[in-house]
Amino acid sequence: MIWETVIGLETHVQLSTKTKLFSRASTAFGASPNTNVNLVDCGLPGVLPSVNKEAFYKAIRFGIAIGAQINQTSIFDRKNYFYADLPKGYQITQMDLPIVLGGSIEIITDDSSKTINITRAHLEEDAGKSIHDEYDGFSAIDLNRAGTPLLEIVSEPEISSAKEAVAYMKAMHQLVTYLDVSDGNMAQGSLRCDANVSIRKKGNKELGTRTEIKNINSFKFIEKAINYEVKRQIKILENGEKVTQETRLYDSVKDETRPMRSKEFANDYRYFPEPDLLPVVISNEEMQTIKDEFPELPKEKENRYIKEFNLSAYDAQIIASSKSMADFFEDAAKKTTNYSLLSNWLIGDISAFLNKEMIEIHESKLNSDNVAMLINRIDDQTISGKIGKSIFEEMWVSGSSPDEIIESQGLKQISDDGAIEEIIMTVIRDNPDQVEAYLGGKDKLFGFFVGQVMKLTEGKANPQAVNKILKEQLKK
Amino acid sequence: MSIQFKSITELRAMLDDKLISPLELVQESHHLADKFKELNCFITMDEDLSKKKARTIDLGKENNSFLLGIPLAQKDLFCTQDLRTTCASKILSNFIPPYTATAVEKLEDSGSITIGKTNMDEFAMGSSNETSYFGNVHNPWKKGYVPGGSSGGSAAAVAAGIVPAATGTDTGGSIRQPAAHCGITGLKPTYGRISRWGMIAFASSLDQAGPLARTAEDCAVILSSMSGHDPKDTTSLNVEVPDFLSKLNYPIKGLKIGIIKEFDLSDLDKEVQTRFEESKKVYEKLGAEFVDVSLPNISASVPTYYSIAPAECSSNLSRFDGVRFGHRAENTDDLNDLYIKSRSEGFGDEVKRRILIGTYALSAGYYDAYYKKAQQVRRLIKNDFDLVFESVDILMTPTSPSTAFEFGSKGAQNPVELYLEDLFTISSNLAGLPAMSIPHGQVNSLPVGLQLIGNFLREDQLLNAAHIFQQNTDFHLAKPSMEDFK
Amino acid sequence: MDQETVSTICYLARLKIDQTKSEKIQNDLETIIELISGLQSIDTSNIKPLYSPLEMTALTHEDEEKSDNKKEKFLENAPASNDDYFLVPRVVE
Repeated sequence: MIWETVIGLETHVQLSTKTKLFSRASTAFGASPNTNVNLVDCGLPGVLPSVNKEAFYKAIRFGIAIGAQINQTSIFDRKNYFYADLPKGYQITQMDLPIVLGGSIEIITDDSSKTINITRAHLEEDAGKSIHDEYDGFSAIDLNRAGTPLLEIVSEPEISSAKEAVAYMKAMHQLVTYLDVSDGNMAQGSLRCDANVSIRKKGNKELGTRTEIKNINSFKFIEKAINYEVKRQIKILENGEKVTQETRLYDSVKDETRPMRSKEFANDYRYFPEPDLLPVVISNEEMQTIKDEFPELPKEKENRYIKEFNLSAYDAQIIASSKSMADFFEDAAKKTTNYSLLSNWLIGDISAFLNKEMIEIHESKLNSDNVAMLINRIDDQTISGKIGKSIFEEMWVSGSSPDEIIESQGLKQISDDGAIEEIIMTVIRDNPDQVEAYLGGKDKLFGFFVGQVMKLTEGKANPQAVNKILKEQLKK
Repeated sequence: MSIQFKSITELRAMLDDKLISPLELVQESHHLADKFKELNCFITMDEDLSKKKARTIDLGKENNSFLLGIPLAQKDLFCTQDLRTTCASKILSNFIPPYTATAVEKLEDSGSITIGKTNMDEFAMGSSNETSYFGNVHNPWKKGYVPGGSSGGSAAAVAAGIVPAATGTDTGGSIRQPAAHCGITGLKPTYGRISRWGMIAFASSLDQAGPLARTAEDCAVILSSMSGHDPKDTTSLNVEVPDFLSKLNYPIKGLKIGIIKEFDLSDLDKEVQTRFEESKKVYEKLGAEFVDVSLPNISASVPTYYSIAPAECSSNLSRFDGVRFGHRAENTDDLNDLYIKSRSEGFGDEVKRRILIGTYALSAGYYDAYYKKAQQVRRLIKNDFDLVFESVDILMTPTSPSTAFEFGSKGAQNPVELYLEDLFTISSNLAGLPAMSIPHGQVNSLPVGLQLIGNFLREDQLLNAAHIFQQNTDFHLAKPSMEDFK
Repeated sequence: MDQETVSTICYLARLKIDQTKSEKIQNDLETIIELISGLQSIDTSNIKPLYSPLEMTALTHEDEEKSDNKKEKFLENAPASNDDYFLVPRVVE
């Protein structure tokens, strides 16, 4: 039997506003528990929501970027259910009239691309957090996150593998960070998704029974959770049994999904229009401003890099693919003129270090001043490329500037012809056999002499100067 | 000097003439509250702070507010910082709000002094004040009789002359009906005129705060202070607040008053009908013209209201879950058990009934038939009003079909019997229109109220019509003997 | 309204009806449902629901922090809390 996987993703994107969707409490991550909580977020009797327009602007920017229809009038609904970290007993969300309708996202897997259609994206408030394992017999409730604006983006069930799901989330990450809609930080929960997974016989039109895997918050877990779930469902179907429609959790320690116990009762959310909020309307003028101030997207950046900085198509594409990297590149490019060396470094050594630690460049100790300075020192031959690498390692760890490191470790390149000639003469004098062999036609020995010079200068001799003078001297 | 039964205007003069100090006035109010404790019109007193505030009042300055030093009572549905706020419910019986409602804050910023929090129907659900966790409130006119509801404590406190005025809230008649039953003046303003921030919600699209006082003039004073846009409430209107006092004495000659055809008054008590006819004559004498008008959908007001209000209430009351504040049951197995036990112990029967009705009206399969349908009928009702107000200035009806009744005599067998008490008052909440009740005589020694309904934001016309009526009659001056309560 | 509907509604509302009162409550609910069912006879085709008497749009505020956090008072009001959190019986997800 050949099985086919059908996946739809509901992505929750925390919008990077300074304050909450319906209150003016801060949304900053990592505050001490229950301090980013206003009267409204605490759901006290008598409080009412007020509206933060910035969240609407961000949602609209996203909608424009995916080519969706924008509903300029936003009406909110209450979704009623009880949970300990849901302070009001309902969540304010958009049921009937989402702010973003339709649109699509392009994903790339193994060099082929695919379009995933978006059903809708709506604004809603996030819930607080429950901590279940730290206090004996109790769950502890922290409402700092309660009320943070979320854009819930619902895809059509057009994703057909875990790999595609990851590609979709990567595309989503790129888009929301590029648009400055979200910081996209998955570890902090700014970008997370629920995956609706079902299996059907290849060729079948009807969808199989689906399960929903809740709250997955890393690319790695998305792949693993879906793969596990697909295998589990296939096994059930091959045994002639039926998949139960349910909500499941992915346990990353055991690498398995299991049914969620707290959601065991089928709920009736009793949606109805939120009577505490009048409709929020975005004017045509505001729409125009959003369009006028639209941020540059990856493809546009790529083309500009090729034109403006003379980067190769390959380099331009890699640098532009990450907002964090592109911002860094553009900052650094203001402080150096050797753009190709800069892009080589970013794509090469710097990316290798970033990938190893799985962080983005803005999260590292590097800054554009220092990296530009490093490029300049190599470019003006103060140091060699090789010394550059060891300086970079030091910069990565300490965050110091290249000049400080060059100064304190005495790594300045020897470019003075006289000084280099003196060292070369010493090498020639000390290795008469090799000189003879070289002159006798063994050209490969040239590298030996370079190596000797570098050894004596601890790698600080300017390689171009060494080559030139060495050739002259050996001929004599 | 006794301050009992004095209006704000009279107390203002006494304060300005130094016949009494703000402290003496507040003390006297507390003394009266204590003397008539049996009325049970207060849930919580604020003796220390109110006296402390009274001491700091400086009457010597120029341009003092009209309310400076005037003692007021607040319905126990308005959050008051550091002062217990219960909504007359067990579930909030220990709740100390960390903030104050905008309406109360505005009154206090005007220099008035809150002496305590008044009894009410639990979460404002009721028309007789019999659903309070803190017990029944007596009607000052007759012991053992209801004061009306839900703002029954506020109405009784004013009628008994303990305070010159009190705040109330009105979702379906909760200011006007108790004002009528207690023989005082009450005003429900236009929806959105007064901020709802800090008012514990019953039905968000219907709730509106307003004053209960001895006269229309005093209502104008309080309304001016309470009104105004509040950025914390997106449903509060961003419109200028007129000087209601300055328009009180406009002549009402030519005022067009509509009588609603669909309200068949012949079903009512003969005496109630007579009072209504007499008041029409008063207005006719003053030059007003009466026009019969039709509001074809108004008879659907009660079922419309009892679909919408419980639906909104079922959701609004979800936050009372025993997690962050309020009553939590002991010995619970898990979170769900905690919710069920805390809420079942914390809410009274009427509140439970309404939550259940509302939950039903919103549940899958019934939403369209009940909730949505009701909101469609609501538009029809509003359209009827819009049309009628093209040809009349105000509408006039009795406030309530009957006078105050005996404890336990209505609604015990059939809750709908009590819901029909709201027949005349409910439609203005559905349409968001201002309406007031003024006393216009008595039937069997119990007060009867006359309701005036105004057009959107035209409280000025209502207050004007009510004030002129009170300038030419003395029904509003009638006082209960209070002999039963000594 | 049958017994099962009543118990589903009760569960959704997280309310439990006292055994002794359950028949009365069920009757009350039926009476009220009958009252509101009266709306069915009114023709509302093509009528837009009126969810708020104010057919206006909401004013909005700037994305600038304005805190009225009163953590200690919030936690003081809670039936169970420690220095940092509201506490509820442990939830197993």
